[in-house]
Amino acid sequence: MSALDLKGVTKTFGGLRAVGGVTFTVPERSIFGLIGPNGAGKTTVFNLVTGVYKPDSGSIRFAGEELSLLKPAQIARRGVARTFQNIRLFGQLTVLENVLVACENRRRSGLFSALLRSPAFFRDEAEMQKRAIELLAIFDLDQLADETSTSLSYGNQRRLEIARAMMLEPKILLLDEPAAGMNYGEAEGLKKQIRWLRDRFDLTVILVEHNMQVVMGVCEAIHVLDHGETIAHGTPEEVRKNPKVLAAYLGEEAPEEGAPAAANEEAAT
Amino acid sequence: MPPSTPGDAARTSRATSPPLLRRILVTLALVGAVVGLELSFDTLVPDAALQQLALFAMVNVVVALSLNVINGMAGQFSIGHAGFVGIGAYTAAIVAGHLHKALGAEDVLFSNSFIVMPVAILAAGAVAALFGFVVGLPSLRLRGDYLAIVTLGFAEIFRLVIATAQTGGNVEGPVAEFLAYLGGPNGYAGPDRNGVPQYAGPFWIFGAVVVAVIIAWRLKFSGWGRALRALREDEIATASVGVDPTRYKVISFVIAATGAGIAGAMLSSMRNGNPTVQPDQFTFAYSFDAITMVILGGSGSVSGAIVGGVFVTFTVKMIEQLQRFESVQALQAAYPALDLNALRMVVYASVLIGLMILRPEGIFGERELLRRKPKQRADQAPPEPLPARTEAEAHPEAETGPLTGKAEK
Repeated sequence: MSALDLKGVTKTFGGLRAVGGVTFTVPERSIFGLIGPNGAGKTTVFNLVTGVYKPDSGSIRFAGEELSLLKPAQIARRGVARTFQNIRLFGQLTVLENVLVACENRRRSGLFSALLRSPAFFRDEAEMQKRAIELLAIFDLDQLADETSTSLSYGNQRRLEIARAMMLEPKILLLDEPAAGMNYGEAEGLKKQIRWLRDRFDLTVILVEHNMQVVMGVCEAIHVLDHGETIAHGTPEEVRKNPKVLAAYLGEEAPEEGAPAAANEEAAT
Repeated sequence: MPPSTPGDAARTSRATSPPLLRRILVTLALVGAVVGLELSFDTLVPDAALQQLALFAMVNVVVALSLNVINGMAGQFSIGHAGFVGIGAYTAAIVAGHLHKALGAEDVLFSNSFIVMPVAILAAGAVAALFGFVVGLPSLRLRGDYLAIVTLGFAEIFRLVIATAQTGGNVEGPVAEFLAYLGGPNGYAGPDRNGVPQYAGPFWIFGAVVVAVIIAWRLKFSGWGRALRALREDEIATASVGVDPTRYKVISFVIAATGAGIAGAMLSSMRNGNPTVQPDQFTFAYSFDAITMVILGGSGSVSGAIVGGVFVTFTVKMIEQLQRFESVQALQAAYPALDLNALRMVVYASVLIGLMILRPEGIFGERELLRRKPKQRADQAPPEPLPARTEAEAHPEAETGPLTGKAEK
């Protein structure tokens, strides 16, 4: 079973082809890596899957449903959750409130119930808070529940973003550079957490990441993009040895000595 | 150890329903207070001008509370709130005027206000809500400053259409006739042009404030308010957790417009107030005053909107009222060149500048007065010990074991 199917997905911004005909299938309950040099279109793919952008052509199917026709909030409610490359928390809200916003869509009592403070409102609120605290405990953030999210350390903010995404009870979790700014030990911890999350919540995880320690260590399949196009696909071992991938990351080996190699290397970073 | 245990973390809002008896008692106490104000208002505030000012301040509190929903909580900048107040004022004036006439009553009786005011309030709220929806739906689908421009444009169009309507001579067509009926720049003064009946005394106006405060408070401290505040912080992230920004923004905007419409109903029917509803009551200056009330009090704060509403009303009107004092009149006589009206604006502007320098986040920020202390609930802690952290994270240096390392996969 596949969790997510992309077929010929293309997105251009003005004259720039950010994503050009990308096709891949993410198996259910897998940990899937999406890598490539800067500007390869990885985050654009995430934005297309989550509905922030609409693809110019191609299809994105999740559980048999075409996602490219839906709005971001609808896609999230279908069970596609994400984190952001540059952390996007609700700054002035507390840690607990950040997570609670993510179960707002599953609240059964409506606005009138809230204004009347009906028993249903209190029941929902208590239930949501209980679930939120439990989830925060998993991410070791429950002690910080009443802090505003801006006051958290960088690592805690990253974890809070994942916690918030998990509050949606997603079927697919898209992580955009979760290891950014982490040291070796923290990255090792992240690998364990990703696997643990997948096993505990029956998730499919798609990972955009530059940290090869994490990508190679945790992903079961890897898809490599460069300039918006697919250049490789396979297991970490296959991808690691693929000459195109090496070229994209490190630059082509220059046919002649000297300047061109240096220029290529520059372009790849 | 800091006094934080896993238990005291859940404190966004109280999670249990208060007992029914307490609710009834609180309701009775509030109704009693409002009725008491109606009965004792003349004794408490003997001065007629001060009475009018107090009632106007309360109307402004409702205006500020409603604007706070969309500007403060949801962070969408609406700068045409006076338009919705105006729509409510005209609607209520027409409804109240005709009902008063239908009742055949000469005097404005308190007992009749229970027939007139509910209908006027409902009509004003409904019409303002409708306009709010029409204005909000297209502009709130977009991000950023569109709403500001559209709301400003809407309020000015509303005001100018009425102010520039042809009132004499040959008026043709239903629309033109209706506009002529509204009285153009001279204002609307009831069906027989002898003044809008002024049914809104302290009972109705303070009552409106009480209801508005309760609604604003409950809105803020609910999932809805949380979603609005999240929206203010980051719209894309809010959508990414399943909250549809357009839906929340539009409904909040309609709520804000409804509140403004009801405030308008109070304004046009205000006891001892202006018996005509005039278009120049609803200029951009009034919208600006409303924004000042919200920002001065603290964007997003219900307490702030109340304090801001009272503060701005009194500062704007105070020096006007001061002109009646003998000492000020003597000053004016001694210095005929002194323009008291201009001086008022200087004082007002200075106060605003001073406050914004001293407290840029407003008097309250986003905080509240009388915020209920969260109850500590130790039993909230998850019963099962969840694997809070991975070993790796707890002891990154002691990282060993089969689940780790580069050897795997």
